[in-house]
Amino acid sequence: MAAKPKNKPTGQDTVQQTRLWLMYPPKLIKKPLIWELGHKFKIVTNIRQCSVSDEIGIVCLELDGKRQEVKAAIKWLTKSGVSVEPVEISAIAG
Amino acid sequence: MSEKHEGFMKALKCRECGREYPLAATHVCEFDFGPLEVAYDYDRIKKSLTKAAIQSRPNSMWRYRELLPVAGEPTVGKQVGFTPLVRADRLAKALGIRELWIKNDTVNYPTLSFKDRVVSVALSRSVELGFKTVACASTGNLANSVAANAASAGLKSYVFIPADLEQGKIVNSLVYGANVITIKGHYDEVNRLCAEIAGKFGWAFVNVNMRPYYAEGSKSMGYEIMEQLGWNIPQHTVVPMASGSLLTKIQKSYQEFTKLGLVSESAYSIHGAQATGCSPISVAQKAGLDFFKPVKPNTIAKSLAIGTPADGFYALRVMKETGGAADDVTDDEIREGIRMLAENEGIFAETAGGVTTAVAKKLIASGKIPANDSAVLCITGNGLKTLDAVVGHVGKTREIKPSLREFEAILASEEKVGA
Repeated sequence: MAAKPKNKPTGQDTVQQTRLWLMYPPKLIKKPLIWELGHKFKIVTNIRQCSVSDEIGIVCLELDGKRQEVKAAIKWLTKSGVSVEPVEISAIAG
Repeated sequence: MSEKHEGFMKALKCRECGREYPLAATHVCEFDFGPLEVAYDYDRIKKSLTKAAIQSRPNSMWRYRELLPVAGEPTVGKQVGFTPLVRADRLAKALGIRELWIKNDTVNYPTLSFKDRVVSVALSRSVELGFKTVACASTGNLANSVAANAASAGLKSYVFIPADLEQGKIVNSLVYGANVITIKGHYDEVNRLCAEIAGKFGWAFVNVNMRPYYAEGSKSMGYEIMEQLGWNIPQHTVVPMASGSLLTKIQKSYQEFTKLGLVSESAYSIHGAQATGCSPISVAQKAGLDFFKPVKPNTIAKSLAIGTPADGFYALRVMKETGGAADDVTDDEIREGIRMLAENEGIFAETAGGVTTAVAKKLIASGKIPANDSAVLCITGNGLKTLDAVVGHVGKTREIKPSLREFEAILASEEKVGA
């Protein structure tokens, strides 16, 4: 069955869950970015999967929080040098 | 879960942990976020899908319908597929290989790219699941295909494209009456917004929540290649890589036909082709890594410009398992590839076809595809879609007055050059 539409207006105060893949370049692998994320923003972080090597760190992260907090958290992560993708990875195709 | 078969499908299955899910519009495993893939009842398929049955059916990708993820008869894109497999002797000579074939999806119906295969599957399944609105986010070919196939099925469609896309590509979606939304912003932001839209509106987003079904459509290209080669698996297949999905599905098609006894088991290699300006999978393969590093695309091959390929990890695994290799080519080499294919075989491919041809040239020259072997190149889209990439690079016209003398002068100068 098709999922029921959930298209209520999106407010900045709406609490939402966002699922992301984070990819860390080698220079950031040692930094406790997820700990910092939890302190800088009012969000709950939940690591669902991860793989860390000398070359790359890959983390699957769930974020729960108000939309504006989640958006700010993603902005901070990307500014810090982390590649942030939705769990779908490439939603855009050729 | 309790098994409820639909057609020849058994369930959706996580590619990582193997957990099974109902055959709904869902795409990631709730436990490890691994991608979901359609699992089939091959015992039942074996009884139904024989060579004779296939050959008795119309010439479309749906002649293999038991292996495609729809429960009943397809309702969208019934004429898609069964494109020509062309014996390419002149190009073989130019590339230095004994035998070469072109799987020519530049003439796929209705929008001249292989995307019609995946879209007809995704939309047929969407209709079965009760969706009235379909959507996609694309940089070109997928948008055109969703717009056209949705129009033919009477479905409402939303197509999301980057704001800086060429006018030609936008017209190719608008003409079908699709709702075309252009999004300003960096690729990452656009990508995240599209994922959010897909989750929020309850539409069939073909390459997000319908992805397990959509991706299976690519297998039809592999089935056709084997049937057109006289029920044989080619020794080498060269496949362009964007997300890497097509390459993994070509392998799945070879495995399935082998499992069903439709082809004999034989050794084969599947090779991947990328543009140097967006080559995360190729770079990883050449470095012997089993993971890729995301990149920011900068290439004329827009249809392959996916910096974070969703199936990159799996594509690397397929190449490793089959002894395949990957390589990448510059924009100039891509244009040369387009010209070689056009001048030798009369096939005008879009930039992705130039990538595949130019990478095949490199792989043959380096011996990774041995000169005495046979290869198939998967050419996935029509050159009329990317004219901008070759304008000014394919020779010049020569103008004359309506005078026979002037024309003879041109011929004479050519003979002089040729002498």
